[in-house]
Amino acid sequence: MAVINLEAPFKERVANALGDSHLAPAVVRATDRMLQARHKAMNSIDGEGLRTQTRQMKEDVLRHLPDYLEQLERNFQANGIVVHWARDGVEAGEIVRGIGLQNGAKTVVKSKSMATEEIHLNHVLEQAGLKVVETDLGEYIIQLAGEPPSHIVAPVIHKRLEEIAEIFHEKLDMPRTMDPTEITSAARVRLRNEFFGAQMGVSGCNFAIAETGTICIVTNEGNGRMVSSMPKVYVVVMGIEKVVPTVEDALLQLQALTRSSTGQQMTVYCSMTSGPRQPDQPDGPEQVHVVLMDNGRLQMLERGYGEALLCVRCGACLNVCPVYQEIGGHAYGSTYNGPIGAVISPALAPEIARFKELPHATTLCGACRDVCPVKIDLPRLLVDLRSDLVEAKTNPRVEQLAIQGYVKAMSSREMYERGGKFASVASNLLAGLTGGEIKWMPPPLNGWTDHRDFPPFAKKSFREWWEERQKLRNRE
Amino acid sequence: MQKSSFSTPPRRVALFVTCMADMLYPGVGIAATELLERQGIEVVFPMEQTCCGQPAFNAGYRDEARVLARRFLQVFGPMVENGSVQAIVAPSGSCVTMTSHFYDVLFEDSKEQPLRQLAQRLASVTFELTEFLVDVLGVTDTHARLEGTVTYHPCCHLLRELGVDEQPRKLLAAVDGAQVVELPDAVDCCGFGGLFAVKNAGISGAMGRRKADNLARSGADVVAMCDVSCMTHINGILSREKIDCRAVHIAEILNGQLGSRLHPPEEEPPMTLERPRRWQDATAADAAAKGEKGGD
Amino acid sequence: MPARDDILNRLRTALRQPELRFPPPETHRLTADDRMTVGTAEGDRWALARRFGAELETLHGTFEIVETLAEARMAAIGRLQMWVAEELAGRRTERPEQPGDRDILIWSPDALPIDGLTPALSDLEFRVIEPQNLHDPDERERVRYARAGITGVDAAFAATGTVVLGAGPHKSRAASLTPFRHLLLVPISRIFPTAEAWMAKMRQDGTLTDFLRESRNVALVSGPSKSADLEGILTMGVHGPKILHAVIFDDIEAMIRG
Repeated sequence: MAVINLEAPFKERVANALGDSHLAPAVVRATDRMLQARHKAMNSIDGEGLRTQTRQMKEDVLRHLPDYLEQLERNFQANGIVVHWARDGVEAGEIVRGIGLQNGAKTVVKSKSMATEEIHLNHVLEQAGLKVVETDLGEYIIQLAGEPPSHIVAPVIHKRLEEIAEIFHEKLDMPRTMDPTEITSAARVRLRNEFFGAQMGVSGCNFAIAETGTICIVTNEGNGRMVSSMPKVYVVVMGIEKVVPTVEDALLQLQALTRSSTGQQMTVYCSMTSGPRQPDQPDGPEQVHVVLMDNGRLQMLERGYGEALLCVRCGACLNVCPVYQEIGGHAYGSTYNGPIGAVISPALAPEIARFKELPHATTLCGACRDVCPVKIDLPRLLVDLRSDLVEAKTNPRVEQLAIQGYVKAMSSREMYERGGKFASVASNLLAGLTGGEIKWMPPPLNGWTDHRDFPPFAKKSFREWWEERQKLRNRE
Repeated sequence: MQKSSFSTPPRRVALFVTCMADMLYPGVGIAATELLERQGIEVVFPMEQTCCGQPAFNAGYRDEARVLARRFLQVFGPMVENGSVQAIVAPSGSCVTMTSHFYDVLFEDSKEQPLRQLAQRLASVTFELTEFLVDVLGVTDTHARLEGTVTYHPCCHLLRELGVDEQPRKLLAAVDGAQVVELPDAVDCCGFGGLFAVKNAGISGAMGRRKADNLARSGADVVAMCDVSCMTHINGILSREKIDCRAVHIAEILNGQLGSRLHPPEEEPPMTLERPRRWQDATAADAAAKGEKGGD
Repeated sequence: MPARDDILNRLRTALRQPELRFPPPETHRLTADDRMTVGTAEGDRWALARRFGAELETLHGTFEIVETLAEARMAAIGRLQMWVAEELAGRRTERPEQPGDRDILIWSPDALPIDGLTPALSDLEFRVIEPQNLHDPDERERVRYARAGITGVDAAFAATGTVVLGAGPHKSRAASLTPFRHLLLVPISRIFPTAEAWMAKMRQDGTLTDFLRESRNVALVSGPSKSADLEGILTMGVHGPKILHAVIFDDIEAMIRG
């Protein structure tokens, strides 16, 4: 089994991913399946209308975000939900840990959440002596394996059944089985114990409704309902951009999310919590806490990447991305991967240079923008980030010199034509050594010839042909 | 970018051949010229043109890209503004995207509004070659002939930024003798991506090999496309992987310069319109030149 | 400065900058008039019932449509008996009976659309449990092994096979969540073509926001629990019910007849 090391340099992580012959086929199979389902789900309705309206709604939210957040807070409090605010991941982690310790929690059950991945909440709680159990089947598997998720909605997309069977055998002392039903049953039994025993449930939030003070979480397995219903204390960590104005807006976003993500018309469960249980209700938490977390989102807005705050975390851009399909999620080395991860990882980080490789790890093909349920112009944001990286002087000096040299050469006809002649002679010499195609070029261009040939420049350029033809015609 | 609709058909156009076609694939420029001229269009080639600046822009070097963008606007701007040409045509989807979409980004700054407006005016009359042939001139058949199996790879910028897809397919479908086959996963990016091909060579290579596998599966002898940069990458992969398929620019097929070639012909390019060689003639000639036996 | 004020102030400052690249300065909130209905379903109450059932089937649930309340009662009881028989037949052990086999979690009669279920089931040696307080350790233990749950619905959406389950004093969440099998009693009057139609009606009646807030928890449920996390292979009943059956019955005729 490949060891996942997120701290390794980017190039090494990519090389590891490309070297794993099982990875790309597994990722391609899973992402293609989701994409086909998405295609069907969006084309059976006015998919374009759904995208347009969801974007319109989310743009309005962002424009009036402070007002909606205040309304949400008021309604949360009116419903008996305790509201906390956190500037960053450290503050958010401390708040959640504090709630756990105050309530004497020993076991925490979690429903899959990117916001808590972002702040490494499991680690924070474990440091405080709490047992943390991920309850989404995929997330449970990678927790057992000691890995981070590799996809926003399908965390274990990179693992084959054999590997999963091995993990269950090794970690849970279960007889080796390749039967998915048996593996699922084993997980059900074990996690059922945790749901009934845990004192605290933690989840993220897909969206929260301002007008009612309602937290909505979306799952297919039912763990979201369990986490928000069974333990006495329920804690929600949500990014400040997750608010929507009305119940209708919530349903709109829900449908955009599920249709884009897994191609479902509706998710199996959408659990909408508007507070702790009423005194006469038989079940539900006795305390509900919400942590409204910034953790770089404001900075993202200030840096000009506010459009990425429209993201509903559906994962469609990952599924369609040919780069993601080749290298999977772990190679990105960030909580968020794929095209959206390549934008928000640097944009959320205190220094964009922390993830300086990611905006370059894309061909700008634009397939991501075409499937995004809120039409985020990801290629544009990626080139903007590349520009910011140049301004922050994070690129290799040799690259900058090369670009400046090329621009200089292209800035005058004379230099351009002379450069072309030189390239023609040099490349034909190189090609001559290997019989027609250039098979080797010096660094940094060896990146090209490591994988493919390069043709020699033409012996006679188009402009030479044109000039000769003009002369010929003038003579006539 | 909203494109102009012409009340009277354009008669004179400026050819923006693009630096790569100029230096690497003169045959593409020649084919584009001849295709246009055969439609009665007078082609003008401003000798001052170089590169649109796309590599610098895509890599994030906006100051550097602006230098070349200004140059482009200086070269092509006056011709359009004074009416000496009615359109700019380029045989490259990505270069047209650069000049007609991304110059708008480069000159976003409030101080740059005059240039931005000039770029917008130029953008409204700048066309990719097949887009110009089909949408502006109403051509759907260039009377070309190609005996062989051909498929089409939609290059990303052309497909997703310019929305040009039907036009080249329509023209290809009209090619006499050509059997057009579908390319599996055609809309997947080939993995070129400009500097990406060098910076992330491993990923680019893997994507390219996936495209090459699909080309092999399609059974096509040639894959046509509207961009020489993706073509260079795809051909480089096909050649390295020894897959029996070649990437060609669509202009070369449409103009009947069949079979195209990675290298321009050794002999002088034709100075006047000649009857194009046939596809099987070209391959036979190539085989003869390499001293290979047929029917192997 | 407290984190709250810090965040809100910084946000307001950022949004006031005229040079801010995004969001656009002018945005428009969706109004009731321009809002789209995402999925669609049409027809009379029977057509909607059939569509709801058909959608549920594509989600790996099952359904039956009956005409009267009495038939619905029979159908429900029959289904529960069948489930027990199935369960026992599937076991290979010497002592096939296990704790919880005949335990059923149920909403209180006040909340159920069909009366007389509890006594009828008790007569058939089912142990019917109306959860009162799940934080009581004894009750929690009792509830835990129940193999089936019976609930009504607050609403159902034909276009997507979705049911709305609001929590309430007589409406246990556990009944639709923890058992292996879930029996839904769906009065035909509660079936709306779409989620949007339901919301519009509730909005008009002025009950939408109160319903969400007072229920404290509302679940939209579309089919039984499932996962595709294992190599994309569909597995059912991961945490919630593995089997979901809807008994759809005509309560409108009964209402008309009084």
